[in-house]
Amino acid sequence: MSVATLTRKVLQAALFYEIWDAMKVTFKHMFHKPVTFQYPREQRTIPDTHRGALGLLRYDDGQERCVGCDLCEAACPSRCIKVISSEDKERPLQRFASEFYIDITKCVFCGYCVEACPVNALAMTKMYEYSTHDKRTLLFDKQRLYEIGERHLDDAKKYLYAHNQEKYAQESREYRYYFPQSVLKPTQPPPKHLS
Amino acid sequence: MGLKPATNPDVEAATIELSIDGKTVTAKDGVSLYDVIASTGKIIPAMCYHYTFDPFGSCGMCLVMQEGKKAPVRSCTAKATAGMVIRTEGDDLFQARKKAVEKHLSVHPLDCPVCDADGHCELQDMAFLHGVTNLANAKQKFIPEDTRSLVLDFNMNRCIACAECINVCKDVLMIDALQFMKKGGFNQVVAKGDQPLSCEFCGDCLAVCPVGAITNKYSKYLYKPWQMKKTTTTCNYCGDGCQMYFETKDSEVIRVTSPLSWKNKWGDRADTAKGHGGLCVRGRFGFEYIDGTRRLKQPLVRAGNELIERPWLETMHQVIERFAEIRRTQGSEAIAGLITARCTNEELYLFQKLMRVVLGTNKLDSSARYGHLNFVHASRQALGIGRMPNDWEDITKAKAILIIGSNITETNPLTSVRVKEAIRVYKAQVVVADSSLTNIAKLASHPLLIKPGTESLFIDGLIKASIEQDLVDEEASKRHPQAFAALTAAVTGIALDQVAAKTGVPEETIREVSAILAEAPRTIFLCAEGIVRRPNGYHNVLKLMDLAWITGKLGRLGCGVNTLTEEPNEQGAVDMGAAPEFLPGQARFDDEASRARFAKAWDAALPNPGSRTDLIEILNQCRSGRIKALYVIGENPLASLPASLDVRAALQRLDFLVVQDPFLTDTGRMAHVVLPACTYAEKDGTFTNLEGRVLRVRQAMEPIGESLPDWHIMTALANGLGGRWEYESPNDIQAEIMKLLPGYYNLGQPRKIVPTADQYLSDGYAAEVAQRYRLQPTGGLPERPFALTLGQMLYHSGKMSAQAPGLIKIAPNTGRLRMNAQDMERLGLVEGTKVRVTSERGSLQMPVQPDPTIAPGNCFFPEHFNEPPVKDLMSVHIDPVTGVPSFKLAWVSIEKV
Repeated sequence: MSVATLTRKVLQAALFYEIWDAMKVTFKHMFHKPVTFQYPREQRTIPDTHRGALGLLRYDDGQERCVGCDLCEAACPSRCIKVISSEDKERPLQRFASEFYIDITKCVFCGYCVEACPVNALAMTKMYEYSTHDKRTLLFDKQRLYEIGERHLDDAKKYLYAHNQEKYAQESREYRYYFPQSVLKPTQPPPKHLS
Repeated sequence: MGLKPATNPDVEAATIELSIDGKTVTAKDGVSLYDVIASTGKIIPAMCYHYTFDPFGSCGMCLVMQEGKKAPVRSCTAKATAGMVIRTEGDDLFQARKKAVEKHLSVHPLDCPVCDADGHCELQDMAFLHGVTNLANAKQKFIPEDTRSLVLDFNMNRCIACAECINVCKDVLMIDALQFMKKGGFNQVVAKGDQPLSCEFCGDCLAVCPVGAITNKYSKYLYKPWQMKKTTTTCNYCGDGCQMYFETKDSEVIRVTSPLSWKNKWGDRADTAKGHGGLCVRGRFGFEYIDGTRRLKQPLVRAGNELIERPWLETMHQVIERFAEIRRTQGSEAIAGLITARCTNEELYLFQKLMRVVLGTNKLDSSARYGHLNFVHASRQALGIGRMPNDWEDITKAKAILIIGSNITETNPLTSVRVKEAIRVYKAQVVVADSSLTNIAKLASHPLLIKPGTESLFIDGLIKASIEQDLVDEEASKRHPQAFAALTAAVTGIALDQVAAKTGVPEETIREVSAILAEAPRTIFLCAEGIVRRPNGYHNVLKLMDLAWITGKLGRLGCGVNTLTEEPNEQGAVDMGAAPEFLPGQARFDDEASRARFAKAWDAALPNPGSRTDLIEILNQCRSGRIKALYVIGENPLASLPASLDVRAALQRLDFLVVQDPFLTDTGRMAHVVLPACTYAEKDGTFTNLEGRVLRVRQAMEPIGESLPDWHIMTALANGLGGRWEYESPNDIQAEIMKLLPGYYNLGQPRKIVPTADQYLSDGYAAEVAQRYRLQPTGGLPERPFALTLGQMLYHSGKMSAQAPGLIKIAPNTGRLRMNAQDMERLGLVEGTKVRVTSERGSLQMPVQPDPTIAPGNCFFPEHFNEPPVKDLMSVHIDPVTGVPSFKLAWVSIEKV
């Protein structure tokens, strides 16, 4: 061991160099903005494309969008959707879902059901907080799904725009399916030769 | 097949050669190009094509390039000719086909999400296959939906005018209830004359519709095709044994679909000789009783005047104790059993084993006793086989068919389609002799209206005319000269002019008809309820055998005397030995060798043969008190038999009556214990149809409530009574039947047999035949001029279909007597007028209604309903040979009240 090395070692020991060296990272972080935040007191801002809990939507006049076509059930890879449809007794020839279940415990949040929906009745929201003591409440029924849809309507719409599922207002009406006269919705203009 | 179907199955069409995609193909002359290409295994898309009828050529999808032509040709309507050079693939053809799809889609509403055909739609498939994503000039039709029909909805926005529905209705079923009509600027399919659809409601138009233009009212909007579980099973309404797909969701029956569908459109026309795969109204729309609210869900036990629900275990203990007690104190002879022929073969087998081995009694019977046994006994007597010698293919390819005493389109609709195909494709001559104006008579070449009850006399006339006109087959008469002499002697007393006067058929017609039947190379004789369910049914079937024999039709391929069975498994009931005179396999019960064989197989002594205790004898012994306990499975003698048999008194005297049924029947209301049984949709097993084919019944859903399959209940009962049965599934029972009756299942196909009557004709025939032609039918007396018939309707089968709300909606019980309009006018009656109907058994007041199918001098009431109790006007005639009770015809007077 040379004299120079020995001198450096003694000096380093005297000045606690290794401790200073180890504390370097700590001191540096004193001036950084923290990455973690205090959930649930602080909430993260969620992007529009976020895939959260599913909700069912209505038209602006309050009419249910869902026509009970069951395409979501067919598209669902984890088979967590169940649809039972029937004819609306008050409005003959109008098909609607009389029962609609989503088992959210099984859902893999792939968003295929939203893509499959021809009338954009289904949308994903930014809602992800549904932890519960009773697992049975995680089988969302039709009522619950409409509640989610109503509460998170803005998020749901943003989701649809972000995923290129829905276009804005007037444009979307033309872009969606036309139904025959027998199942005509009041949201659609009557055909020219009948008006 | 194709454009020009073979009218003569005996002559082979000439073969031609043509080139398809560079390969040389041989084909039959005169068929369509599409069929030739399909036969090579290539599938060209086509939306308006179906092999069951001639090509229509409206969809424009089946385009192929023919050498020498500039534009693509439609292969379905083009005839294949020798030397054609055809190309079926290529980008130009793909584009041409894509254009055709776009043309259809441009006027098709894209309402797939709400359409019931979504996922089962040929237009969807074609759009996907050809990648149609953009439509330039799409327009909408905006035609309101036609919901006037009872079972079908017509949404003509979706129609692609392929005309499959019209063609299948006109060509295959020959009903012709649909047509094209130009309405609102579009060609639409409407019911004839744009009226609400009123037809046989077979629903085959629904099956072949490639899009959702025709939809099923029962399952409309409920589920999509991919949501339902599909089970292939056998229909349990009549003896035709049609295969069908049962579509269920959990424990709910959604709809019934048929093998006939636009999905399997490729086939050889010759295939339809064995059936076209369709269904009738009962099969397709009469399924709602299965999960209906009236099903029994729990065992019921009598407490005073009430039946109250009890748990299974307690009920079974009680049943076992009571049976054991009666067996101990009164002997086995005090127990009897009845079973319906709607049970599976396995259950019928178990039933007779339970009665004979465990309970030790031979007092058992099935509903085959109501008529089918007349045919079985006669056929065994003459030919030694107890079933139909012919199958559907023989009927289709017959050159002459005699349908006597059968309203075949109503009782066995799919067998009638075979007759229709014989008329249409193979140009058969059909003689229909019936006392009502049946639907098949409208299509027949020789529709004969005979006076009620003179069927037997008409057969006499045919035999006499055959002998007189020297139409006798020489080979047949030379082989058994003595028998022929005896027959000639027996019919000497019959004069044709008298027969003509009594039956109402002119003498020349009788001669002409007998000549047709004798001269045809293949003749089928079909007799049903008008023969086997009437007095002297046994002898009348034998008379038909005589007619078949002297014209040389007995023991020849494709000829024979046949019957139709009303319940799905009447043939199986006889084959499984659910009759006092038969052991399984139709071995005679008093035959020592067979008894020894079965006693060994079952490891038990069989009860003594004694005298035959059939249905009527069982009821008599119940009334006299000899029988103390009765085990009734699915039967309902109280509602089936007329009051003159006094079934109520017989059942009241019983110490113990157990009824096992899916529903609470009239008989069930009198029972001490009612056990809830499953319907055919909830159990496995097999049915034997009228041809002798053994067809599978598969479980489509879990049993409703706590009901159990009949075999399960019987196994539990047998074990409780010390039987030590180890059946865990119908398969175990099947394995046992297979051992005892080798070849019975035979992969579902009965062995083709050509029976001979040599034994019968050479042995004791002479003595028998002399007696046979002395029997004369009883006609109407002057004071009772009307013939009242109890019969079947198309829309119902037995009493069971009255539990199906869909069928009741189509054909409710009007409670009215159906009469001919002329008779009504003569008596001064209008629809709804109350009349008094009087027979020798009593009288009844009921309103009348006109019915175009009823001939003058007749009146009719459907046997499916007991309100008002018309059946009680009937007197019962019991056949001395077969013990069959016949009570479907009575002579009545009708007067205005």
